[in-house]
Amino acid sequence: MVLLDIKNLTLEIDISGGWVKALDKINMVIHEGQIHALVGESGSGKSLIVKAIVGALPYRWRITADRMTWKGQNLLTMSVSARRKIIRKDISVIFQNPINSLDPTLTLGQQLKEMLPTDKLSKLWFWQRKKEKHALAVKLLHKVGIKNHQLCLDSYPHQIASDVVQKFMIAMALASEPRLIIADDPTRGMEVTSKTQILKLLSRVNQVKNMSVLFVSHDLLAISSMASYMTVLYCGQTVESGELHQLRKRAFHPYTQALLDSAPSFRKDLPPKSPLSSLDGTIPTLHHLPIGCRLGPRCPRARKECVAIPQIRRVHTHFYSCHFPLHWEAK
Amino acid sequence: MDLINVEDLTFQNCTKHMWSKSQVIFDLGPVSFTLKAGETLAIVGDNSSGKSLLAKLLVGLETPKSGTIHMNGVQLNKSNISVRCHDIRMIFQNSNESLNPGLTLGTILEEPLRLNTKLNAQQRSALIEQTLRQVGLMAEHRFFYRHMLSDGQRQRIALARALILNPKVIVADEPFAALDPSVRSQAVNLLMKLQRDLGLGFIFISHNLGIVRHISDKVIIMKEGKVVESGKTDAIFNWPKDDYTKKLVESHQALVNRQHN
Repeated sequence: MVLLDIKNLTLEIDISGGWVKALDKINMVIHEGQIHALVGESGSGKSLIVKAIVGALPYRWRITADRMTWKGQNLLTMSVSARRKIIRKDISVIFQNPINSLDPTLTLGQQLKEMLPTDKLSKLWFWQRKKEKHALAVKLLHKVGIKNHQLCLDSYPHQIASDVVQKFMIAMALASEPRLIIADDPTRGMEVTSKTQILKLLSRVNQVKNMSVLFVSHDLLAISSMASYMTVLYCGQTVESGELHQLRKRAFHPYTQALLDSAPSFRKDLPPKSPLSSLDGTIPTLHHLPIGCRLGPRCPRARKECVAIPQIRRVHTHFYSCHFPLHWEAK
Repeated sequence: MDLINVEDLTFQNCTKHMWSKSQVIFDLGPVSFTLKAGETLAIVGDNSSGKSLLAKLLVGLETPKSGTIHMNGVQLNKSNISVRCHDIRMIFQNSNESLNPGLTLGTILEEPLRLNTKLNAQQRSALIEQTLRQVGLMAEHRFFYRHMLSDGQRQRIALARALILNPKVIVADEPFAALDPSVRSQAVNLLMKLQRDLGLGFIFISHNLGIVRHISDKVIIMKEGKVVESGKTDAIFNWPKDDYTKKLVESHQALVNRQHN
């Protein structure tokens, strides 16, 4: 069953007089029980997509889409309160920087108890409900692997180690038992052991509760260990999307290939200290976006035709948008 | 001949009270290692395991409690601090925030020259231009400010600032953490190229075991201020001895292997 269906999502931002397309015709479909990875470098608009889904963007930005539906209901045309209800119940977000996205003036326990949905509580009287809430909070913390629950509930965000706060954010996201968890770069700046713990936790949640996960990151190693489907973004355009093993076996877009090659641990045949392959140049800023295919100036295969925006082409379940895809001559 | 030779380096962070005994908050070391010219040493460990502290001890930002650092057979201490400033340079954790937003890049690069060398203005500016070209930027970049550059270019400036005194050792605190994959491989390539050309000793801290495995010759694994294991990269990744190292390597391998099936 299709949970979230986005077609041609375009987001325009007003930058010093001109409207710039920060997101340009994004397509994404998330099925139930799927782990969907969204890959892109910084400034590619990953977090903007997340914010557009939950509706946390400023009103003055223009959002247009052919289709943006949650289980068949159109998210863009419904009233704000109806949308908020859906998001409260079914979608939860793990934000990028856990310490900054929590309230520094409340203890973690207060914040977690606030997240618990009231219809889960069965008892009537307030003292009973208080106890029940506490028990639920402790249970949630145990579920994500925080053993010292009392210390965690009583302390403020800055008093706790950052990987524990990250786990706590996941506990908060799980509190309302959503259908979709959006994890916005949950493993940034972590060392390997706590990273694997968090990845295991997310994939376990996915398997046990059949929750879908939208995993937003630029850490390809983490993504490829858990995701089944991947969408690659570059500067607000989707360049390629498809099953992960297909993308890894045969990527059509030069950018996807460059991303895959840039991680040294992906290739076993690479001798130590040999130069890594990389694209020249850097990611353009929003003020200086190239026309047409936005990879154009950095692409090793760019030709004259690349100044036009490439059409989305399709091979089975594998979508890509490039005028001169890799592996094409061989066919 | 060893370029840098560290023996039993220790450090203690204590709280000082007037009457009661001082309490030890953090205990580092003893750490010992040697590094030859052109070799790379990686320091790996948990958060708050004292990696950054070790880097600061090496450059001389903190004074060690005991232990010695020899460089080319000469012991480094307070009397020859100018030699140390000249020969060991540091790249800080966040290249974005470690550059002064109010100064042009040329001024930022000129500062270590003014403080450490006796060059005149002309020679300084020639050296700045040469170093900027060396790290793959243009001579005009000296008139730029921090905000005009992208992440990768800032990393290059941080590297240029470390290189400009022609050091023998560069100490880098998570130089690749904040960079995006495609820019990161550029930075890695640049560092490896400079190391080949200039014969630099390179000491770096990283979480990314893929990169550690790729570019380092030796590894030090740290946990809670203690060196858990140290040795050749190959040996540590293939035959880890300590439990903590095993856990680290296994969790990395698990990530790498899961994607292959």
